[in-house]
Amino acid sequence: MAISSSVSTDAEAFRDSRDSQTVDQRRSSTETRANSETTARSMKSNSKPQNSQMSKLSVRDLNFYYGDFQAIKNVSLEIEAQKVTAFIGPSGCGKSSLLRCFNRIYELYPGHMATGEIRLNGRNVLDKKVDRNLLRSKIGMVFQKPTPFPMSVYDNIAFGVKLYERLRRHEMQERVEWSLKKAALWDEVKDKLDKSGASLSGGQQQRLCIARAIAVKPEVLLLDEPASALDPIASAKIEELVHELRTDYTVVIVTHNMQQAARVADDTAFFHLGEIIEFTDTDTLFTQPSEKRTEDYITGRYG
Amino acid sequence: MATTFENSGVLDKSANPKRFRQQFSGKLIQIFSLVVPIILLGLIIFLAINAWPAMKLNGVSFLTNSNWNLGSQYGKPITVDGMQVLPGANYGILFLIFGTLASSFLALLFAIPVGLLAAMFISEIIPSRLRESVALLAELLASVPSVVFGLWGYVVVIPVFSHYVYPVIAAILGFIPFFAAPVRSGYGLLTAGIVLALMVVPIITANMRDAISAVPSADIESAFALGSTRFEMVWKVVLPQIKRPLIGVSILGLGRAMGETMAVLMVSGNALHIPKNIYSPMSTMASFLVSQLSSAMEDPTGMAVNSLVEVGLMLLILGVLVNAAARLLLLNTGKN
Repeated sequence: MAISSSVSTDAEAFRDSRDSQTVDQRRSSTETRANSETTARSMKSNSKPQNSQMSKLSVRDLNFYYGDFQAIKNVSLEIEAQKVTAFIGPSGCGKSSLLRCFNRIYELYPGHMATGEIRLNGRNVLDKKVDRNLLRSKIGMVFQKPTPFPMSVYDNIAFGVKLYERLRRHEMQERVEWSLKKAALWDEVKDKLDKSGASLSGGQQQRLCIARAIAVKPEVLLLDEPASALDPIASAKIEELVHELRTDYTVVIVTHNMQQAARVADDTAFFHLGEIIEFTDTDTLFTQPSEKRTEDYITGRYG
Repeated sequence: MATTFENSGVLDKSANPKRFRQQFSGKLIQIFSLVVPIILLGLIIFLAINAWPAMKLNGVSFLTNSNWNLGSQYGKPITVDGMQVLPGANYGILFLIFGTLASSFLALLFAIPVGLLAAMFISEIIPSRLRESVALLAELLASVPSVVFGLWGYVVVIPVFSHYVYPVIAAILGFIPFFAAPVRSGYGLLTAGIVLALMVVPIITANMRDAISAVPSADIESAFALGSTRFEMVWKVVLPQIKRPLIGVSILGLGRAMGETMAVLMVSGNALHIPKNIYSPMSTMASFLVSQLSSAMEDPTGMAVNSLVEVGLMLLILGVLVNAAARLLLLNTGKN
């Protein structure tokens, strides 16, 4: 967890908040489930009912621009810890853009700009004082197309770990095995750890990317349409994996596939034209949407 | 009712109104595409024909000894193996082969790190709004006439380096045989290598920029998404993917350096022997052709010119080999 002495205070802050969350979590998991039916319907559409203490990521008045074009308009939402949150909506609705704000990966491109607040465990990550590289080691990301580096399976996993940790050889081997097991890939690749990552099948490559992200031990995992380039079987495996990952991580997944969102997500947010139309628990969103536009979208009337 | 096409001739080749235009343009393209290989083949054949007497006379020793002597212009031509030669004439170009390869490799030694770092810097480090203009400047270097580089070497590198730089190198690296003093005039191998390096740098920079831009942006994003700094991303993700193109590009640069004439002639010292150390005068095949041609024309037997043509043939073969190797490597890289 602690990366170097200079960030130990941050790390402690993370740890503290995590401890308090697990307590909250246990208490609230029963409560919120019971309450959600009633509260969800009574709430205004774009903020979920919850105690902001327990949210992992807290977005406040976020605006995002590609040059002159505003892709996200004044979005606020709370993403809960140890849950899978799905973002759905038609192309260009801003869901991927929002995901790319969480780890500030948008900063790679000139003209992309975000204003507002995104708090990770209470700390505003858009603050210029936050080290974006360190931030990205806390918030892992997996992209639409599998992107294994052109190196061995083992080195693919070790790549991210080596950036922030000095591990002995056997510790690294353990870490590689651990993350590959977490990503449900170990059994398939344990005999070809020295083979190129590109030699795996598409679905295996994507799980390799997930393992690579997990190996760094992030707190949040961002998945940007992780299964959309895969066949249905590989896709199903990814879904299964995502479902399991939420016991250890806060997962945010962007998807075009509504069935997928319905299957894997605890909460789902529906985006349209850069705004959150509705954000509630997945069951409610898909069975009793309170907004006409949500209903139109999930029933396939537009988008 | 549908008309039947069978035996009606409607689909015959002769029925196509564009037939002649198509055939004519096809033939024209074929003819023009053959011109280039025919020119290359013709060049080799004519060089070989002109070099043939020299090849018969010189044999293998042409490549294995370092004694180049046009013989006595005023002596009576003698007959060797049935061929007329000036007395005392001897043609051996080992020192030229050495000079050509040594100066070119020195040039690569300097140019690869500089060119590669420049390419990385331009592609990944500098702000994108400055990128195109800086890239243009770097690549403009490629269009500077080589004689201007030679002049720069003559006016700047030789006086400055021979006084202030080479003595320091000699003092520090003097324990390595080829690097020891004396430094002397400054005309020589190292200066030629430096001037050549400057000409090779833009080739490497331009081509490596292309290679770097071929690195998938997904790989770059993924590296950043794991928390890499820009340096770590370039070092661990970009560099491994441009190793193979770098080999091909380096060989292209080597070809450029080996063929360079004027700039080398102006700074090499034009010596007729293998240099004693890295600072000593030397010659390359290309520069030697220029410097010797007028003297060789004085030879009434024509053997001197024939031997120079043989030098040219060797240079051409060396150049073709180097380029073929580069193409092969680049081709294999493309497959990856």
